[in-house]
Amino acid sequence: MTHVIPITVIRRERVLPVPGAVLVRVNERLQAADVVAEAEIDPKHYYLDVARGLGISVKDAGRYITCQKGDRVETGDVLAGPAGVPRRTVRTPASGRIVGINNGRILLESFGKVLQIKAGFPGKVISSDGAQAVTIEAIGTLIQGVWGNGLQNYGVMRLVGDGPSSRLQTDQLDVNLRGAVLVAGICDHPAPFHQATELSVRGVILGGMPSELIPVARRLPYPVLLTEGFGEHPINAAAFNLFVSNVGREVAVDAGCAWPQPGQRPEAIIPQPSSRQVSHPDRVVSLKPGVRVRVLKPPYQGEVAVVKEILKRVETYPSGIRAKSAMIEIDGVGTKTVPLANIEILQ
Amino acid sequence: MSSILDTDTILAVDVGSVSTRASLFDVVDGHFRLIASGRAPSTVKAPLSDISEGVRMALDQVKAVTGRKLLDETDLLIMPVTSGGSGVDTFVATASAGPKVRTVLVGLMPGVSTDSALRLAESTYLDLVGVIDLLDTRRESEKIDLILSARPDLILVVGGTDGGAQDSVLQLIELVAVASELFSPNQRPRIVYAGNRNLGAAIADRVGEHLDIALAPNVRPSLQVEDLGHARLALGEAIAEARNKRVHGFDELEQWSGGTMMLTADAYGRVIRYLSRIYDPAKGVLGVDVGATNTMIAAAFEGDLRLSVETDLGLGEPLPTLLRHSSLSNIARWLPSETSERTILDYIYNKSINPATVPAEEEDLLLELALAREILRLSLKRARKRWPKDRDLKSTWLMPSVEPIIASGSVLARAPRPGYAALALLDAIQPTGITTFVLDPHGLSPSLGAASGSVPMLTVHVLESGSFVSLGTVVSPVGNARMGRKVLSLHLELEKSSEDVVGEVRMGQLAVVPIRQGEHAHLTLRPERGIDVGFGGPGKAGALRIAGGAVGLIIDARGRPLVLAKDPARRRELNKKWLIDIGAVV
Repeated sequence: MTHVIPITVIRRERVLPVPGAVLVRVNERLQAADVVAEAEIDPKHYYLDVARGLGISVKDAGRYITCQKGDRVETGDVLAGPAGVPRRTVRTPASGRIVGINNGRILLESFGKVLQIKAGFPGKVISSDGAQAVTIEAIGTLIQGVWGNGLQNYGVMRLVGDGPSSRLQTDQLDVNLRGAVLVAGICDHPAPFHQATELSVRGVILGGMPSELIPVARRLPYPVLLTEGFGEHPINAAAFNLFVSNVGREVAVDAGCAWPQPGQRPEAIIPQPSSRQVSHPDRVVSLKPGVRVRVLKPPYQGEVAVVKEILKRVETYPSGIRAKSAMIEIDGVGTKTVPLANIEILQ
Repeated sequence: MSSILDTDTILAVDVGSVSTRASLFDVVDGHFRLIASGRAPSTVKAPLSDISEGVRMALDQVKAVTGRKLLDETDLLIMPVTSGGSGVDTFVATASAGPKVRTVLVGLMPGVSTDSALRLAESTYLDLVGVIDLLDTRRESEKIDLILSARPDLILVVGGTDGGAQDSVLQLIELVAVASELFSPNQRPRIVYAGNRNLGAAIADRVGEHLDIALAPNVRPSLQVEDLGHARLALGEAIAEARNKRVHGFDELEQWSGGTMMLTADAYGRVIRYLSRIYDPAKGVLGVDVGATNTMIAAAFEGDLRLSVETDLGLGEPLPTLLRHSSLSNIARWLPSETSERTILDYIYNKSINPATVPAEEEDLLLELALAREILRLSLKRARKRWPKDRDLKSTWLMPSVEPIIASGSVLARAPRPGYAALALLDAIQPTGITTFVLDPHGLSPSLGAASGSVPMLTVHVLESGSFVSLGTVVSPVGNARMGRKVLSLHLELEKSSEDVVGEVRMGQLAVVPIRQGEHAHLTLRPERGIDVGFGGPGKAGALRIAGGAVGLIIDARGRPLVLAKDPARRRELNKKWLIDIGAVV
């Protein structure tokens, strides 16, 4: 199921890969760029052999160790010794902390890189475990996509071109779009991506692009989000209408789920003010007449339709395969029969 | 309840990454038969991350077909069967779904224990993210960093024959313990130790208090002996535990099955091993399953099972990985019409996003079958490295003799005509001599494997029923001959018809003689000099009784190995011709 919802409650968890520190409080209001949690990742370790360093037996090494587990140390600090006539010592090769002492050996952990996680969209902190996970909630428009290049950002949304299938072209990209999140139908060449980089755009949302552009998209400094897939696929009508009606508003693009997707779909969130009761998106919707769907495969790929009937008989298709099917009403096309496997619910 | 069989009604559920299947077996005329099967999308991934919904949808389909109530008002399985005919007597479950289990392998000697552990890891659902062994020249601190950055769910430690190396193994364990203790308590990996058995107590003493360790029998008790079976069980438990942490619903299936739930690959291997004990001991039995997230190759030779799970090769999410091992031109070579590389590449990525979709257009169907050929070809190439040397032919190109070849996976099972599946199997496997292709269209093999412990007769009865579809007998002559030259003559006598088929097959030809399912025939083959059809050597003639199938008798004289035409237009023309010859395209 893909969510394309004009207004809903959006609740997202931001989780550090390792325990660290949560920097926000429950009920705190956040902006998209606010850092919510940080942790030290990939620290380097030094496993120091005190016995060998001091030229003594393992049994005696413990007596000469002068540090304790948990100590913070600077480069060159003495950790063990002096021992013997030459007054040998073992010193720290780097700044860090002692994380283990065992069998005459000292395990030193140097400081790693600091990983920061941002809120990603404006919202309110609704829960936190204090060390690793924060849950943020907002009310807004939610448009889920199918692929992202691994980045996230936030900016004012601008439409490029005149429809859901318009191509992103270099001659459309000028200084007026600087710092914006661009919405276009298709991009089939690397040049517009590079020009967008020059303009410091904050993101690009497309229906589709050729898969051969994946390496280019992964090197860009801004998020790229595809709503449909790879190839010349326009943005589906339901999503495009929502983008059009929100042009000029700020949009958070979370394209952080590069293939293979770890679970959470790449998505665009447009925060909306709301005083009325807004519901959460459904986690499960049954496929039945009246439900809105999107077609995932040719010949009607990308079309948004409404289920008219779930057929009891198995249908045969041009390829010869037989599949359980549904009759769907595609706006402007008419009633068509498609395999159930080739449609997904669009809520 | 029947008099011969202890149980009547068996419900089997297999939870895959894309589909969840439910199969209901019951006794008809004293034999188990597949009564109904249901298939629903798996709900293993977010937002649900709970397999229960998919299982219930699959069970609903079985109920819709049979009218049999399987769950009670509280959604619990009714077991045993009630007087009103609701519920089932036995429930078995298998699963391959769930996140990959990130694994670091720590071993002593490359070529000995480490190789055994690699074979073990490659026979189940592990994602190997790091290997450390005694000859590894990295510093200890670098090895610790490797383990930490890999963030493994599991560390598999092997090394030392029983009564052999001690100090080196203990050093490895110390390293693993030091690294593992640096993880926060809820992220610590499980350690499975399957090395020198004599060190079990010392190892448990060192790591037991703070770390979760499972001791398994040594994978290499001596230099000459390899024992992967017991360690596989311990790994299975570790995989299930890692899976249960992240996905809900498995515990309920575990409960329904009375704690006998199995990994799909293990259950699949069990069936293939069983069949190898029934069929011709001179040959092996081969099972191939092209799944969405992995491909299983199970070969068994008189009970000696060689199981491979290729977790990076599948017709779904991992599809783009195929391009690391193959190329777009290698995929395009199997197509009967010109298709741009851009189209193939886009198809691969779109299929990885939407793995459950089916090809409604003919071009899409042919492309999926081309992808399946490449996946199968690569998987088989890898798997054969682990087959017993005495069973493999001297040439690395030729397949050893196996019969039957049992194939499964949606791409083959859903093929609109049996010829599509048969040609894909011929192209990818390139069997030699005489064999039989059998299709498992309902994906029953894992369920039969899981049930074989409690209901041994189920496998026998279901295999004899029509639930498995024989595609036909395949004859693949091996030998050098010029294109168009006669390679063999044949004489086919149908048992229920007085009309014999007499003919000859020429090099490059793909010949099919239709023999309907259920019919039998006597086949006499007289190969030309230098041509081997599997009767004991080149030029040797022979006769055998064969059974009919959905395609019939297939004689593939296109050559072994199959060499495709270099000219793309000619190649496409031949691909089209072969599709017609085998009855896939009319």
